[in-house]
Amino acid sequence: MELVKNPNIDFLGKRKIAYLFSIIIIIWGMTTFFMRGKKNFGVDFIGGDLLQIGFKNKVSVSEVREVLKKINIGYFTVQAVGTEGKEVIIKSNPDTSEKVIGALKNRFGENNIEIKSKSIVSPSMSISLRKKALYAFLLGIVGILFYLSVRFEFRFAVGATIAIFHDLLFVLSALALTGKQIDATAIAALLTIAGYSVNDTVVVFDRIRENIRKTRSDDYITIFNKSINETLSRTLLTSLTTLLVVLSLFFFGGESLHTFSFALLVGFIIGTYSSVFIASSLIIDWHRIKPYKFKL
Amino acid sequence: MLKSYYYKFALIVAVIGLFIYQIYPVDKKMKKGLDLQGGVHVVLQVEKTPEETEKISELTDRALEVIRNRVDALGVTEPVIQKQGMDRIIVDLPGVKEPEKAIKLIGKTALLEFKLVSDNEKLLQQALQGKVPEGYEILYTMKKDERGIYRKETPLLVKKKAELTGKYIKDAYVGYDRSGFPDVNIVLNSEGAKIFEKVTANNIGKRLAIVLDGVVKSAPVIRERIPGGKAQITGRFNMEEARELAIVLRAGALPAKVNMIYQEVVGPTLGKKYIQQGFKAALYGGIFVLVFMVFYYFAFGLLADFALSLNILILLGIMASIKGVLTMPGIAGIALTIGMAVDANVLIFERIREEIKTGKSPKTAVDAGYVKAWSAIIDSNITTLITGFILFSLGEGAVKGFGLTLSIGIIANLFTAVFVTKTIVDWILITRKVEKLRI
Repeated sequence: MELVKNPNIDFLGKRKIAYLFSIIIIIWGMTTFFMRGKKNFGVDFIGGDLLQIGFKNKVSVSEVREVLKKINIGYFTVQAVGTEGKEVIIKSNPDTSEKVIGALKNRFGENNIEIKSKSIVSPSMSISLRKKALYAFLLGIVGILFYLSVRFEFRFAVGATIAIFHDLLFVLSALALTGKQIDATAIAALLTIAGYSVNDTVVVFDRIRENIRKTRSDDYITIFNKSINETLSRTLLTSLTTLLVVLSLFFFGGESLHTFSFALLVGFIIGTYSSVFIASSLIIDWHRIKPYKFKL
Repeated sequence: MLKSYYYKFALIVAVIGLFIYQIYPVDKKMKKGLDLQGGVHVVLQVEKTPEETEKISELTDRALEVIRNRVDALGVTEPVIQKQGMDRIIVDLPGVKEPEKAIKLIGKTALLEFKLVSDNEKLLQQALQGKVPEGYEILYTMKKDERGIYRKETPLLVKKKAELTGKYIKDAYVGYDRSGFPDVNIVLNSEGAKIFEKVTANNIGKRLAIVLDGVVKSAPVIRERIPGGKAQITGRFNMEEARELAIVLRAGALPAKVNMIYQEVVGPTLGKKYIQQGFKAALYGGIFVLVFMVFYYFAFGLLADFALSLNILILLGIMASIKGVLTMPGIAGIALTIGMAVDANVLIFERIREEIKTGKSPKTAVDAGYVKAWSAIIDSNITTLITGFILFSLGEGAVKGFGLTLSIGIIANLFTAVFVTKTIVDWILITRKVEKLRI
């Protein structure tokens, strides 16, 4: 069985449409992102209290909201978990969880609620978590850039790196547009996407490297297109198997993996798209502006 | 020719055997993270007051000792108490029964007390049966058992009212007694010295228990009246015990304010739910991929599936043997490994297909497929490994677990997807006449 038989698609000819598509989505998403401000982040990165409360009997989100409105704790959110209506996640400002638990116990009875999980993140902790996430990002990008420069060409490394940024901005846009919050696991997802995106790009680059060595030609557009087509069935297959797993995580993995698997889902699709339409295309455009003979 | 394959097969079988041994029984061998078994994770920050002269790092060491002492009293299996950076302390209490109580205990101010011990054996026995005399209480010394859990050791009947508390201690350090054994020297401030002199004068021959947060650390006998606020606690210590006691004595008066800047509590029911969900997601994802590969590559698909199963076995085996912690994102990492590990085989198989199209014989096509796919496999795996490794080293808790499983999965992948499948394919091609490859 074969997914595609001897494909011969002019991918690079369509790169301007791809650029336009990416730019529109990212500008739209990032505008939303900046307008949302602090609401983009979970308690890990801005500080605050997060409670997951289970109830013995069915309780509606609005009931919980009513209770919490009365106790003056400032901004908070209540979100239902599952479909039974017996569990909610409450996010509130730092040092308010005691009050929240107290109020809920008062209203619903001490024995009718169970604290399933609790995270309390002080602002100073959230600053260091933010710093750590940022370091992880920078270190990851530098590591990848360095490795690719050694194994390929500097321009290839830059193309792959821009493709990573593209993918990450795209996923951040998707998270902002769907109203999801970035927490520690979302950061793990973003880094995994970075790794996957490069992984995919590298396979295309590897074929380009091989074809340049083989043909000694400098008609790069033809070589790039040929290489993308030759690796296309692999690209689709691997994306498919990986997506099967991510879809399974998304549908069966439950609440705690929801944002994580959603980010992966978007990221892996975009990662595949970007290795074809962004990473390779940028190298070609760079070459058109400033011609260069690759020594691979 | 065939002989070298026997060695290769022996290696593969040995690896399978070793890792099955490593992970069996799975329930006991796998260390579950806090999110999967429930428990408490807190981060404390030590705050230095302006008048404090001691270095922040040392203050943190002392605070850490106090907290360790309290955690020991809780009797949690495998607690983790670590210093992070200069001024932070991380406490992990997996599976703790009453999380709220544990958090309160960790956060409270340390209390060091000196209490007189009653030597009346009969009273002690009665007290142990529930008839505690007025003004007395039972306290225990604690000892680590072979599994690393602190257990109550010797009960002591002590006066409820403390003769002296930690706030009178100026310093404590390790010295040596006349026979060369380490002992612990304490220096009291002037007020404490007066009280101590009186207490020792009135209670010669009795024992004075040194109690930290309700746990008896030592109960030396008062040999003489001790003036001047200097005393030695002797008692066949080894060096480490003496040092620990000195730290505890110094730490008794908690030197700085300790703030709880992060706490995470996961109830045990939630952990169980997480395990079920994670297992289900990984299982379904795995089955989808396995079925898909056979559907797409026939016999070669089965080969890839075998490599994949072996990959997961090795991944779990390494996790078990290095006592790596399995977290919910860690399970996701295993699932992702399943999806991404087939990539190496897809690269190879697609290459073999291309080579067959150019009219090569099965054996030459297979060899060329493996050789040509190698550079793509190694480059793409290393770039993913870079991110996995960074997540493991910089991430915390659940995210660290994700980086760990992802990294191990990638490394195991190189062995299973390349070496193992090549060995099997070669062996089949050598021992059987294969005219045409169905791939």
